Amino acid sequence: MDKLPWLGASVKRKEDDRLLRGSGRFLDDVEETLALHLAIGRCPYPHARIRRIDAARALELSGVETVLIGEQVVARTEPITVLRPFPGSAPTVFHGMAHGVARYEGEPVVAVAAVDRYVAEDALELIDVDYEPLPHVITVEDALRPGAPQLHATVPGNVVVESTVRAGEPDKRLADAAVTVDGTFRINRVSGAPIETRGVIARWAEDTSTLELWASTQTPHLLRAQLAHCLRMDETDVRVIAPDVGGAFGLKIGVYPEDIIAALLAIDTRRPVKWIEDRTEFFRGAAHAREAVHALTIGADRDGALLVLRDRYLIDLGAYHGPLGPPLLTSIMLAGPYRLHDAEIHRRVVLTNKVPMGAYRGYGQAESNYVREVLVDRLARRLGQDPADFRRRNLLRPDELPFKNVSGATYDSGDYARGLERALSRVGYETFRTRQKAWRQQGRHVGVGMSCYVEFTGYPSSAFLGRTGARFGAYESVTLRMDRAGRAALSTGVSTFGQGTETTFAQMAASLLGLDPVDVAIHRGDSQGTPYSVGGFASRTMIAGAGAIEKAAGQIRDKMLRIAGHILDVDPAALEATAGMIRRRDDPSVQVSIQRVSEAAFLGHPLPPGEDPGLEATAYFDPPSSAFGYGTVVAQVEVDARSGEFALQRYILVHDCGTQVNPMIVEGQVQGAVAQGIAAALFEELVYDRETGQLVNGTMVDYFMPTAADLPAFELDHLETPSPVTPFGIKGVGEGGTIAAAAAITNAVCDALAPFGVDLDRLPVTAESIWRALAGARAKG
Amino acid sequence: MPVVELTVNERAVRVDVPGQWTLIQLLRDGLGLLGTKEGCGEGSCGACTVLVDGRLTRACLALAVRADGARVTTIEGVGTDAALHPIQDAFVRHGAIQCGFCTPGLVITTKALLDEHPWPTDHDIREFLSGNFCRCAGYNLILNAVRDAAGVVTEKR
Repeated sequence: MDKLPWLGASVKRKEDDRLLRGSGRFLDDVEETLALHLAIGRCPYPHARIRRIDAARALELSGVETVLIGEQVVARTEPITVLRPFPGSAPTVFHGMAHGVARYEGEPVVAVAAVDRYVAEDALELIDVDYEPLPHVITVEDALRPGAPQLHATVPGNVVVESTVRAGEPDKRLADAAVTVDGTFRINRVSGAPIETRGVIARWAEDTSTLELWASTQTPHLLRAQLAHCLRMDETDVRVIAPDVGGAFGLKIGVYPEDIIAALLAIDTRRPVKWIEDRTEFFRGAAHAREAVHALTIGADRDGALLVLRDRYLIDLGAYHGPLGPPLLTSIMLAGPYRLHDAEIHRRVVLTNKVPMGAYRGYGQAESNYVREVLVDRLARRLGQDPADFRRRNLLRPDELPFKNVSGATYDSGDYARGLERALSRVGYETFRTRQKAWRQQGRHVGVGMSCYVEFTGYPSSAFLGRTGARFGAYESVTLRMDRAGRAALSTGVSTFGQGTETTFAQMAASLLGLDPVDVAIHRGDSQGTPYSVGGFASRTMIAGAGAIEKAAGQIRDKMLRIAGHILDVDPAALEATAGMIRRRDDPSVQVSIQRVSEAAFLGHPLPPGEDPGLEATAYFDPPSSAFGYGTVVAQVEVDARSGEFALQRYILVHDCGTQVNPMIVEGQVQGAVAQGIAAALFEELVYDRETGQLVNGTMVDYFMPTAADLPAFELDHLETPSPVTPFGIKGVGEGGTIAAAAAITNAVCDALAPFGVDLDRLPVTAESIWRALAGARAKG
Repeated sequence: MPVVELTVNERAVRVDVPGQWTLIQLLRDGLGLLGTKEGCGEGSCGACTVLVDGRLTRACLALAVRADGARVTTIEGVGTDAALHPIQDAFVRHGAIQCGFCTPGLVITTKALLDEHPWPTDHDIREFLSGNFCRCAGYNLILNAVRDAAGVVTEKR
């Protein structure tokens, strides 16, 4: 195949027209006649024994259909499975509803199905739950103290798993290092906070004896597998359908308790049961993310060659394993883009009485980038080196790739230093350093900070995932079918949640079939009628999906060429599919339309002897390797050294995601991820009160998501190094923008305040945290 | 049950409205206009923004019975079947839409902005849009679309 005509084109998105007109169909727009509405009573305490539930008065309320309590749920279901557990994890038995003990504020304890949500909510008020509050733990440090309250009998000491990754001779290197620095960093608990909350409609289909579940999910097939397991049903007796999904960001992966509750009530009542999460529930029920504490040490020789890294970190899992599990990529990507052979990484996953942790865009990678890049700056300062020079010296060179890092990940391709230089030149780094001195003399504190990353995208094969205990594969799949009009229909189990898959998949299929993307219809997100699919997460869909489309479209194209060859009486090998036609390569006037070829396949004639009717193919593709994106952020800030207030003046990201299928969509993915990266770095934090165990700021008013007035314009630059290990050289791009934000901004603030010797070690970076750090530095003298 | 008479997207309608209903329920459950989205139900996110007598209104907080006699514009009233409104077209061209859940509210807000400020400054734009959360697109692409739409819409006057 020659160059693919639609690969690399900024085709307008197929999704946009319906979304702009308000015709997108999200979960709450799915009409179900005679639906019951679900309201869920949630534990108001961080940790409590449920002694008794009396629902008699609720059941008497007019309009109430039924009440479900934890005892019934536990008796009738299996605990939620973990899709990607940390190897060696102890189980945390997590059911669709608490029974006996509830372990976080917001855990479902009772549910009511009624004629409308008002009646259901009123009924909750009439249910008497007798709670005995139990001692709770809110921080990982408290959870590890001797005598701390224990969350699960299966998890002694509240440590779900403790393990160490070791490479080379870290102890020896630490002893050898001329300079070492260490720091303890606290990473904030945040939420992906999509604008559409979660939601579910469950329906028992009497005619087929199957369960149908509409859900706002990014993984319809994985949700089906987990839900069927929980309900002790065969997977094929469950159908999951994702309509348009209003943002997901990792938070909508897998099964949630509410899916199980709605399904049980639909089975019991034989009526559709609908639940739309309200925003108060959202902050207490949907996965939280990122929270961790790292104690990191790095060392270098006198010349500034990075020698060793040692990290001891704690992941704050919350009260249970959520459906996905804690981030493994923190450890895998801790070494970053540097030439490092010796490391020791010790991690513990710790329980607290908080909402279970889940994935969030850049899962694990934003965390490890923050701690490493901030400490790299301190090391450079200690060595008396410019942080850019230190990085220049230690970044892996293109000729050193592929490179296996200390945790076993193999970086495939890229020019890391080029990304750094491009970003530095954009800010005018050398000039800046001169001007910075002058500004300092005027009492202005302007700083530049940088942060380099390499990013794990996609998964390196299903076999790899299997070896590490994952309950899903690395593949993606499509079914492609030509219709009589010569248009293609592409079916994928991936749902649509903003990532533009409908457009990019259509571009790939159109390119390979000789069509226009307009002529490729996308059917997505329905477990029935789509081949087994893993779903949209881990920046993997485009990589794996492109491989599946290439295979399926190749089969169809070959068959179209055979049929066309028969019609034209030409050797199929002399033909090509392009612009809606099958034609001779050397004489385009000899041609037949794809429409006519498709019609022949549909009618069954004229076909070559022995050729079956139809033009349809299903293909799976399992990527053999991950592809590693990379980039550098340079941020510029000005800080008021009296108050700690600061302005983010410039934000530059140079990144490389390999071949771009649709540059406009890539731009959007990066813009959005950068905004979320900055949001978590500067604004957002889910705060729990240590004494009461309550979430303090669980509303959109109190959880400070940035608005259009709060963010600067981002300066983006794209490099393009096709991956040698993926179809078409594609690397993932959905998450990278989040990764480097927190470190770049932290480093910029510390650079601005270098004369005061300020170190920052917690997120978010706020005027208050800077002011406190300044006060601390002044007190030290 | 109270009866509310109002004009929605230039069409006169009469709706039976339970007293506790909000305007978004009137639109969605009463009239089947599903384009207006509810993201928080507490007036924070802006996804449910509609125009009531030309003023930006959070449909999740406004009581339905208060809309008696009002002229309401929802996303279904922007653009035509044949053609997108220039604001919508600018959103497409600038890649300002991702999941699309916040988009109807943003388009309505932009319409109000341009109705009120035909030549908006950047400050006007940011100020107007600061009541609408978007979680996917990161605002800059939306701001570009709005700046572009302002030029197009203003020129047409």
